[in-house]
Amino acid sequence: MPLSLVYYAKEFLRGEWARKFLAAKTAPLEIPPYFRNYPELTGKTCTHHLFCMMACPAPGAIDVISTPEGWKPRIHIGHCIRCGLCVEACPNGVLSSGRILESMFYDNTRLSFSFRIDVDQTKCMGCGNCAVACPVNKLIDAQMSHGGRASTDDLLLKVSEGKCKVLHVEKCTGCKTCEHHCPNEAIRVARLLEAVHAPEEDI
Amino acid sequence: MTMLQSLKNFVRSKSIHVAYVDVGSCNGCDIEVLACLAPRYDIEQYGIFVHNNPREADVLLVIGAYTPGWEEKLKGLWEKIPDPKAAIAIGNCPISGCLFARPHTLVDPPVAKHIPIAVQVPGCPPRPTEILSAILSVAPTVFKDYEVRK
Repeated sequence: MPLSLVYYAKEFLRGEWARKFLAAKTAPLEIPPYFRNYPELTGKTCTHHLFCMMACPAPGAIDVISTPEGWKPRIHIGHCIRCGLCVEACPNGVLSSGRILESMFYDNTRLSFSFRIDVDQTKCMGCGNCAVACPVNKLIDAQMSHGGRASTDDLLLKVSEGKCKVLHVEKCTGCKTCEHHCPNEAIRVARLLEAVHAPEEDI
Repeated sequence: MTMLQSLKNFVRSKSIHVAYVDVGSCNGCDIEVLACLAPRYDIEQYGIFVHNNPREADVLLVIGAYTPGWEEKLKGLWEKIPDPKAAIAIGNCPISGCLFARPHTLVDPPVAKHIPIAVQVPGCPPRPTEILSAILSVAPTVFKDYEVRK
């Protein structure tokens, strides 16, 4: 009897046992390193393509702001759903989150954007607001007249024969400025996001 | 505050009663709260007891983007909870409305407009770890100077 009491006392009066018995038993609460957390800046230069904002499914989760050091994406916690699409869509690898960049590198995958412009010819009045507002057109032909008519055919959009014509859709950057300036909702820009495997040109 | 009162408050902060209410979410955050109860995270080993009775609760977990059906109901539910109490917003929905905060939707975020929110846990959904640590971090402050305040 006394021997067993001593045995019990030896067993239960150990500090580590008492601590283990009274405190929480699972491992400390930690977020594993592979968790796809909020995107963080990697320090690479942002080129202001805004693909992160275009790919983002959550309203108001990401914006790109101008700082003295250049353009910088900014994540809004409380809006961001941590899907990682901005990390995948960025052509320069400005953002990183979890293992997304590593797995993209090993699998050789990328999200690529393309844009399609649809002009509803029955609604189009040929006012040329879209062609004048287009920032790509402005770079090619700064002297474009107010009706959207121009002599060159290098433009993205142009009015000819009283209707808007899309000439070079591959120059579109998906900014949707034309859509906002159309008085008749005749022009629509579709952003096509596709996952590409083994792209021909590399980053 | 006397020694006895602070000891009582310390013991109280080690036994938190939690009620949760879903004011219109996609059920993703509800499942993460459920995962806290499961053995992997096991919320009860931290002295947190979950039952859905606001009259016994100390902490209210608010999940969801506040649909019109909860007008007047959530406020009444908050008033049923005895002092001291705190509300924790779980997920993006009570903070910003998340994906539902678009034009022509009926949700009315943030929930902080309707009841006072002590802690916000962002994420869509947040990890059970983040929910647990939010409850654990709010626990000491709820009871800190409880009897003095009263």
